[in-house]
Amino acid sequence: MSTLALLLTQTVNALSQSALLFFLGVGLTLIFGLMRIVNFAHGALYMLGAFVGYSLTHWTGNYWLALAGAPVVVGLFGAAFELTILRRLYRRDAHAFLMVTFGLALVVGEAVRLTWGPDALQVPAPPALAGVVFMLDEPFPVYRLFLVATGVVVAIAIWQFLERARLGLLIRATSQNADMANALGVDVKLIRSCVFGIGCGLAALGGVLAAPLVTASNGMAGTVIIDAFVIVIIGGMGSFLGSLIGALLIGFVQVFGNYYAPDFSLAFMYLVMLAVLVMRPGGLLGKEA
Amino acid sequence: MSGQFRPSRRAMLKVGLAGAATVASPAILRLTAEAQTGPIKIGMPVALTGPLGTVGQQTKRGAEFWAKLQNAKGGILGRPIELLIEDTAGNPANCVRKAQEMVERRDCRLITGITLSSEALAVVPKLGEWDSIFISGINGDGRLTADSFVPNFFRANISGPMGTRAVSLYLRKSNMTKFYGLGLDYAWGHNSIGVFEDEVKRGKKEFVGKIFAPTGTKDYSPYITKIRQSGADAVFLVMQGDDNNAFLSQAQQYRLPEKVKLLTEIVDLASIRAVGDASLGLIGSSRYSFTYDQPLNNEFVAAWKKEYGNPPDTFEGEQWQCMKVLEAGIVKAGGVEAAKLRPALEDLEVESVKGKVFMRKCDHQGVQQGFMVEVKKKAGFDTPVPEVISTFPGDQTTPPCNAMTYKD
Repeated sequence: MSTLALLLTQTVNALSQSALLFFLGVGLTLIFGLMRIVNFAHGALYMLGAFVGYSLTHWTGNYWLALAGAPVVVGLFGAAFELTILRRLYRRDAHAFLMVTFGLALVVGEAVRLTWGPDALQVPAPPALAGVVFMLDEPFPVYRLFLVATGVVVAIAIWQFLERARLGLLIRATSQNADMANALGVDVKLIRSCVFGIGCGLAALGGVLAAPLVTASNGMAGTVIIDAFVIVIIGGMGSFLGSLIGALLIGFVQVFGNYYAPDFSLAFMYLVMLAVLVMRPGGLLGKEA
Repeated sequence: MSGQFRPSRRAMLKVGLAGAATVASPAILRLTAEAQTGPIKIGMPVALTGPLGTVGQQTKRGAEFWAKLQNAKGGILGRPIELLIEDTAGNPANCVRKAQEMVERRDCRLITGITLSSEALAVVPKLGEWDSIFISGINGDGRLTADSFVPNFFRANISGPMGTRAVSLYLRKSNMTKFYGLGLDYAWGHNSIGVFEDEVKRGKKEFVGKIFAPTGTKDYSPYITKIRQSGADAVFLVMQGDDNNAFLSQAQQYRLPEKVKLLTEIVDLASIRAVGDASLGLIGSSRYSFTYDQPLNNEFVAAWKKEYGNPPDTFEGEQWQCMKVLEAGIVKAGGVEAAKLRPALEDLEVESVKGKVFMRKCDHQGVQQGFMVEVKKKAGFDTPVPEVISTFPGDQTTPPCNAMTYKD
């Protein structure tokens, strides 16, 4: 394999991994930006997305329906959770949210185990994406190209939604000053439910897209939640663009770190986070910076 | 002179102590009697969550099924079996803490079912102090019966070096000459890749490189690229759980098996189910498979299917064998105290689901035959299944006493 082919395939691969990380990070940062809630259940909802995707694929025989349906199902679940549980806690301090979302993570984890069993489950990529393309004579899975494309489309869609849609405007307004938005007649409670649901849906989208790579398993939640927090901390809590930059940074550090210095690749991720925090304690695009 | 009796302070103390002893003796007797006649407590600090949670869940089920059947027959020595199961999440420090709580707070002197070798290695130095026996059902690291061996440790399962040895004996007859190693970056992975490298070199073949992936790795493409670049004919995998599933799925997506043969130290049924056709053609040693045609295995598989509706998995079968060895040891010892159980387990021979298992005295390793299997499609099964392609007698696959490498 030539150096050029290596760099090309690993760069595209890093973009595909960044896309998966972005779905996690952006949901987490949207929720924090608006609600000041650190959602410890984000990894569990990512896992729930993968398992719901598995069931939808098996019931309908169609991966595309699962891809569309799993984020909706998990998003509605998230919105319902906000409506019934989190809404009662807004007058309390941050510890209450930590405890409750951590509890949700445990409950979702156990519910998944009881519903789908302890074993990992196969979610195959759809036949149209199961092949390979050759990049400078090196085979590269089509599915990873699809992940890159999905990442680009979702990032643009979220950006346009936040910038141009009325709901996006209300989310930004509520994020900047919830009391003022409320005084101006914005239904802040509804906005919060929507954002929590959207954040959870994005985590589920990440889960269902990751399933053909790693299978749907009970261990999924634990392995991604740390990555998600690192991305949000690097990018700055609450920053959409920051989560995108954070996901790209971590995606590239993980892929190239695993290739060139596998023994230190985990350390590289934390070194990047450390360096960012030393230079900009609020994260690259964080409000405190 | 007064005739009044005036007891000395010392006499009063003696009377007091005697009285206290009389009052307390029923409680002491009751405690002693309970230790000898109460339930037989077996501690299982298991990784039920985390990347190897699926493996831990299997060992838990294997032990639970055994305990259920045993209790239905009245337990062992007339005493019921009580399993104390705690989740360690695969963390060695957690494992030691949970095991210590079982020993010190719940008076449990038998430990089994520990999931990771790194956890087992952390527990074994404590066994003497705890006066407890730990019998491994799945731990592969060769050091447990070599450098890190302690008298209160026993291993009923096929070790990593034994699995690796079966693969290397098989490969001696093959025309593949160049090999690469990919292992999980913890004790078992390093140990088995080291043994494989040694075996390859001993067989006058070429070992072209090795790499280790942290548990919980999600993207294996850099590793797959390295394997492809190495020019190896085959890659030897020391992987399990979610990592194994992720690697096999992604290797198939990258078309790696078309260029490099995939060999593995453990062919795991749960992984085969999880990745489906991505496991086809995988060749490796097998710790246990429901397809072994042994009378006791056929009986066990039928009972398991009746209970759970599907055949037992790799580590369910391994843990079951471990519990049968432990059962035979307890019956022979007439109790569970380490001083009685240790000699009873030494040189014990048990007829098992994999044939005979002989717990040799020198390093407490269970000598048993080794199986090589290939994953194939088979009529009547939804997913591929492992088929035995070769077996090796235990004296060929088990290393010399207290060693991890072989002489020939």
